[in-house]
Formats: sequence, C-alpha cells, structure tokens
Amino acid sequence: MTFSLGDESYGLPVLNVREIIRLCPITPVPRMPPHVKGVINLRGTVIAVLDLRAKFQLTPNAYGERTCIIVVQVAAPSGGSILMGAVVDAVEEVIQLGADDIEATPDFGGAPDTQYTLGLATIQGRVKILLNIERIFLEDGTLSLPPISKLQPSTQPEKI
Amino acid sequence: MFPENPKESAIPSFSKAAEIVGQLGEELAFVAPNQDTGLLPINRLVMDLEELAETDTPPSLSAGLQVARAWLDQTLDGTGKFTEETIRNFNQWHGRMAAVLQAWQTGTTMPAWPEGWTPTGGAVTATEPNNPAATPSGVEELSIRLNLAEDFGLLREFHSESVELLHHIEQGVLVLEDNPADTVTVNSIFRAFHTFKGSAGFLHLEALRGLAHDLESLLDAVRRSELRITAEIIDLILAGADALKHFTREIGAQLQGANAGAPILVPTRNIIARVQSALRGESPPEAASASVVTPLKAPQMAGVALSSAMKTAEPAAGPKVQQSPADTTEGLGVPNPSGGFVKLDTAKLDNLVDLVGELIIAQSMVVQHPDVKSINSLSLVRCLRQLSRITTDLQRNAMSLRMVPIRAMFHKMNRLVRDLATQQQKHVQLVLEGEETELDRNIVEKLSDPLVHMIRNAIDHGLESSNDRVASGKPELGTIRLTAAHQRGGIVIQIQDDGKGLDRSRILAKAIDRGWVKADATLTESEIFSLILQPGFSTAEKVTDLSGRGVGMDVVRRNIENLRGKIEIQSRPGLGTTFTILLPLTLAIIDGLLVGVGDHRYIIPTLSIRESFRPPPGMVTTVHGRGEVVSVRGRQTPLLRLGHYLGTPSRAVKPEDGIIVVVESGDAARGLLVDELIGKQEVVIKSLGRAFRQQNLLAGGAVLGDGWVGLILDVDTLVQMPYHPPQSAVPVSPVP
Repeated sequence: MTFSLGDESYGLPVLNVREIIRLCPITPVPRMPPHVKGVINLRGTVIAVLDLRAKFQLTPNAYGERTCIIVVQVAAPSGGSILMGAVVDAVEEVIQLGADDIEATPDFGGAPDTQYTLGLATIQGRVKILLNIERIFLEDGTLSLPPISKLQPSTQPEKI
Repeated sequence: MFPENPKESAIPSFSKAAEIVGQLGEELAFVAPNQDTGLLPINRLVMDLEELAETDTPPSLSAGLQVARAWLDQTLDGTGKFTEETIRNFNQWHGRMAAVLQAWQTGTTMPAWPEGWTPTGGAVTATEPNNPAATPSGVEELSIRLNLAEDFGLLREFHSESVELLHHIEQGVLVLEDNPADTVTVNSIFRAFHTFKGSAGFLHLEALRGLAHDLESLLDAVRRSELRITAEIIDLILAGADALKHFTREIGAQLQGANAGAPILVPTRNIIARVQSALRGESPPEAASASVVTPLKAPQMAGVALSSAMKTAEPAAGPKVQQSPADTTEGLGVPNPSGGFVKLDTAKLDNLVDLVGELIIAQSMVVQHPDVKSINSLSLVRCLRQLSRITTDLQRNAMSLRMVPIRAMFHKMNRLVRDLATQQQKHVQLVLEGEETELDRNIVEKLSDPLVHMIRNAIDHGLESSNDRVASGKPELGTIRLTAAHQRGGIVIQIQDDGKGLDRSRILAKAIDRGWVKADATLTESEIFSLILQPGFSTAEKVTDLSGRGVGMDVVRRNIENLRGKIEIQSRPGLGTTFTILLPLTLAIIDGLLVGVGDHRYIIPTLSIRESFRPPPGMVTTVHGRGEVVSVRGRQTPLLRLGHYLGTPSRAVKPEDGIIVVVESGDAARGLLVDELIGKQEVVIKSLGRAFRQQNLLAGGAVLGDGWVGLILDVDTLVQMPYHPPQSAVPVSPVP
C-alpha cells in the first residue's frame, strides 16, 4: 500500500495494514521524542501513534483534510503482535510489486539515513520508497527515552 | 396402582420413603468391611421400606428392595459381616434408590434396575473368600460424602477446577505418550495432581486426596528421574485420572441435585496398590494387572448405570421442579443450584467492556451533536436521558463483570487456616484486612493458588508449635495477617505471620548444597530470601501432605510474575515473616481525579491524593531561590509544577492561579501544581503498550468519556523525582 508524505511516495506491505482511520484526537505523551505523537483510543484499545514526517525528519506540515492514521500490525519478536498508528499525509493506493520492480536503496553516504528503507520501486514513473516497517515500529516499540529516574527496582538477580 | 402424577395421594408415603432412604445413607456411612456395625439397623430400615412398599409406591422401589433383601439375607445367613463387595453394592444401591425417589417425586419414568442388580449379583460374596488378592495390602475402599449444605460453593468451585485439571492431565499424558522425556509436561501433570490433592484435602474428600497424593508421588519419582515413563506408567496415570474423573462427575451430578448426599464410591485401592508397587520399583504383579480389568470396568459400569439413571430422571426434572419448587428442595435437602456460574473467556469480557465504552462515547457524540441540540423537543430530551441512563447502567454492569472483591478468596483462607491448624495442632488466628478491595477477576483467580501455598507455608513452617511459642515468650495463639490494599499505584497483598522467621543460614546452606550459590558468595538478605522462590527449593525435612516438595514457592513466584507482579520477602528471626505481593493495577479500575495542565488533561489516582486546594498568595515559598515548598498542614512539602515536568506550558504561572494537589506515596509527599480540577471519575486502566513501557512517569492510559485518551500519572515516580528547578525543565528532553 502506498501513501504520501509531502511530494514523496512511500510503500509498506498491505498485509501489515490493519486499518486506516481518519485523524482523531491524539493525546500527547510527555517526554517522548517528537515523532511519537501520542496515543489514541482505537475502539477501546490505547495505541501509540507516530508521525512519519517527524520520524523521517521531513518538514512538519499542518494536518489537512486527507491526513489519516494507518494502523499497522507488526509481529513482536517476543511473540504476539503490536498495533501502532502512523500519521501520513494521504493514503494513495494498493499496488502489486514483483521482485523485479524493486531495486536496492542507493547509498547516500549516510545522509539521508536509509536504515528504514527496504528498497525503491518505480511504478509508472514514480518512485515509491518501500519501508522496513518492522524496523520503524519495533524500534519505537522497544526504545524510548531513558526512564526519568532509576526508580524501577531491578528484578531479583537471576545469576543464582 | 401407581398414579401417573403422584403429587396428591403419594406424598405421605414419598416423604416417609425419602426419610428412610436418608437414614439408610447415614447407616451406610458407618459400615466397614468384616464388621457387623450397622447391619441390623440397615435391615430394619429396609424392612420399614418393604412395609411401605406394600402400599402405593412405584414398582421400581419394590424391585430395588428385593435386591437389597437378597443381599441382606445372604449376609445375615452367612458371616453376618459386611464385605467390601457388599458395601460397594449397598452404596451404589443407595444412590439408585435416591434416583428412584427423585424420579418418583418428579413423576418421571423410574430408572429400571439393570440386569446386574438382580439378586444373583449377590453371588460375589461367595467368591470373595477365594480371591484374597482382591484386598491387597489391606487398603480399604473409601467412599466420599459431600457436605452439600455447608460446602456447596466450595464444591462447585472444586468441581469446575477439577474438570479443568483432569482435562489438563489427560492432554499432558497424551503428550507424554509421544514424548516420554518431556519434563515440562511431567512437571505440569505433577502440579495438576498437586493442586487437585490440595483442593480435595481441603474439602475432606479423603479418597480423592489419597489417590491424587499417590499419583503425585508417582510423577514426582518420574520428575526426579527415579522412574522412567513406560506404557504401564502412562496407563496407571490415565487409570488414576479416570477414577478421579469419575468422582468429579459424581460430584457434579450431586451438585445438580441428583443422588444428593449419597456416598460416592469409586474403587481406587487397586490403582493405589499399583502405584505403590510401581514406586517401589516393582512392575505390577501379574495378579494385580489381571485384576486391573475389574476395578476399571466396575466404575465405568456403575458410571454408565448411574448416568443413565440421571438421564432418565433429569430431563423432566426441570419443568416439574418449577411446579413444586418447595417440594424438591425440601425433600432432598439440597440448596437450589439455580444461581449458576458461567465461565467466560476473559477476552470476550474485555471486548464487551471496550464495546460498551465505545457505545458511551457514541452516545455522547449523538447527545452533543449540534443538530440534535438544536431540536427543541421535550420528548427527545426525555428519550436521550433514558438512553444515557441505560448506557451508564450497562457500563457499570460491564465493568463490574470483571471486578470481584477479594473477600471470597480471603474467606476461603479462613477455612484453610482452621483446617491446617487443627491438623498441625497449632493455635492460629487469621486476621483479614481490606477484604473489600476489588481486583480483576483474572488476578483473583490466579492469586488463589499462590495464597494457599503461602498460607500453608506460614502455618507449616512459619508458626512454631504452641509449646515452642510459649517457651519463647510469645502468645500461644499464632497470628497470620492477610491484607489487601490499593497502594503504591497497584495492589498490595501481604501475608504476615508472627512465627519464627526464615532461617537464613539454612536457606543459604541448602542453596550452596544445590549448587545455586558458591560457598563463599556474599548475598544480601533479600537475595537469600529470594532463594526460596527457586524451583525445587524446600527446607522442610520431611515431605508432608502440605508442603515440602519444593513446588509451592516457585509456582507462587511464577504465578505472580505472570500477573506482572512481584514478591518481596521480609523476615526477622523470632518475629515472623512477611510476604508482600505487589500487583500492577493494569486492568483494574481506579478512581481518578482528572486535572488540567495547559491544554492537556491527566488523571491522578484518587488513592494517592491527600488533599487539593487553591493556595492563597504567600503560601508557597522558595528555597535557595529555586526550589519551591508549600506548607501543608504544618509540613513543608516540595512543590512540583506539573506543567514544567510534562513539557506542557502551564497557564498558572503564579501558584495562586492554580490548584495544588497533594499526593503521597509511602512517606513522601509532593504538591502538584495544576491549572484546574476537571472532575473525578472511575476509569479502566489500559496499558500504554510496548511503545511506552520504558517510561515510568505514566501508569497507563484510560479512555475518557469523550473518546480521548487520558494519561494516568504514576505518583510513585512523581513523588520521588529529583527536584528540578522550573527553568531547567525543558519539554521533551531526556533527563540525565
């Protein structure tokens, strides 16, 4: 499935897309990196929402009519799956990609950072940037800012 | 002779018959093999029944009496003593008579007496002396009797628990059949038997407890690799599980009102004998394995006979019972089991609660919709009000489905303590506190086993014997204190005994012995205590029924950890031990205070709030020009400007523009400066998910009435946060 952020077009595997919802009120979570927009209520479940513009360090843009949240389901390494939302400018379409359509991401020499891209695909003259969603979402699923203080008492030593 | 509807004419003879059958049951409870106790009274009661049967009783009753008469005459003419065979026959006969009576009362078809019940069946008595192998090692068949009046609730729990456990065991055995070396499965079967044993012992179901104990020992031997899993062992486990299952089924039937109060007898001694010979390392003797067929067949046949009896009795029982409810309950003395329970998948429950939440939100969207508001109609307003009343009720109901007070579980412990104390001849009192604390049903269910284990440990190991207590100058009466409370942002359950405390050196010695700890290691006190939570740890010198197999504590720890809780152990020699179980409040509903800070709203758990007030000017003073303190009831309390901490520009620049909420956790307190108080509400705490699990500022989120997510502040963290002067608090920057 492809979506747009500004002039660029991105793609992610449609099988990981759980649903697409209209932009809804997002409760900001304090002390989080800017790309973590906050949390929303998805029919009773609280899920985290990322702003992909902020994540890829694009210029922020006011949310508009077509802005929406893609709810993505990613299998967690520890088993189970997690749901997360991603704010994008607009959802475009679902396309079929063969292995031939995909080429490796060229090396930009570190800037821009290509760790989140799987490759590029050219469809009807337009380049789609294919995203490594596991990387994007699991990173934010496991990493966040260090705890405010070291209050969490460490669990009993297992060394014994 | 016998009218279709017995109600009017037959009631006197019915109640008379019911009375006699009841007395027969009492007499049967006292009979023992090779003794004549009870023989004459039983004979007399049967004669009474025979007399009654000459009037207007159903033919089935007379047929049954003929059977009994034949056995009785045989016994009276012969040795004059009961044999195991006759006792079993009588017990089953008695159960059948009860079924006949019930069928009579409800006017359904009488269960027919099967072929095997004709007087020729009594011939078994004659063959008995020729078959001495039938009573190996002098183990006697035990029957169980249910105390339905007193233990009804407990039995019902036991029944549903047992069905699950036995199912679990069966599944496990099937796995073992394919893969005998699967230690995880061996362990889980072992634990299932252990739990079964515990519950059965708790309800004084001796026959079940004994069998489960032996099977547990068998698996324990397998677990310690003293015994190899063979097809025979598997057969044995299955046979044992079948016998237990049979018991369970009968208990279930009695709970439904069939044969109420009748003794339940399932032959177990053969299985026990086989288990014991297997434990001794002998392969079961030929004779025994030959006789295996008989005991296994017998219960099955009896089971079929009884359940067919029930089938005939039951279908019509339902509607008829409604016609004469008083009759049925009085006649058989069974509590009416109509208030049944349904076991539900909690996922469905969660779903329901979520959907109800959605409904509330949708409703408020409709009510507050500008178009709807513009309609000037009194009847619409009334309808909407009605709707909101219903949805609110619905929500409250849905919420309460998941929450149960811990009371029921605590009270179960009362009984446990009483029984164990009697058994151990210790004087123990159980003090319960915080019984009204509501817990998620999930948590309560999973907490029950650990608590039972820990209380057992406390009585078994913790409390000294009365003599020792008096000798060390303590009151003879030992005290176990069981408390539950919402605290530290979660639920805290404490089990506190005033016994001798944990023996540090012995724990350490044991751990070194097991190779868990190096001999020269220096461990802190809490590290030493946490050793007792290791699998396979036990300082008890002998294996008792209660504890000492080294299951207990590691299972306790696992159960608690599965609930994402933890255990803390404090112990002082001679003064006692305290186990503190901390459970997170995820899933729990809390009362929260909704506060506004800048544009955002946060929820502060009401339990942590001491007070809130609008500070008059001058109440807040600065220390070193930076730190702010507010004087609360004579105590100088550090002030925390919530807006600064959360990176939300606060509207209240001067403290007197805002409101100070004083929160506390443990001994520490902080004043939180917020802009406004929005309201109090009950919220369901939801986990924020993986994305935020590393932060400790928020205890969770909750869906608010308007569909927004409100964030619940973790007061523990706030209270202990190092003080930051306002100017250094930069929004969204990590704190070093």
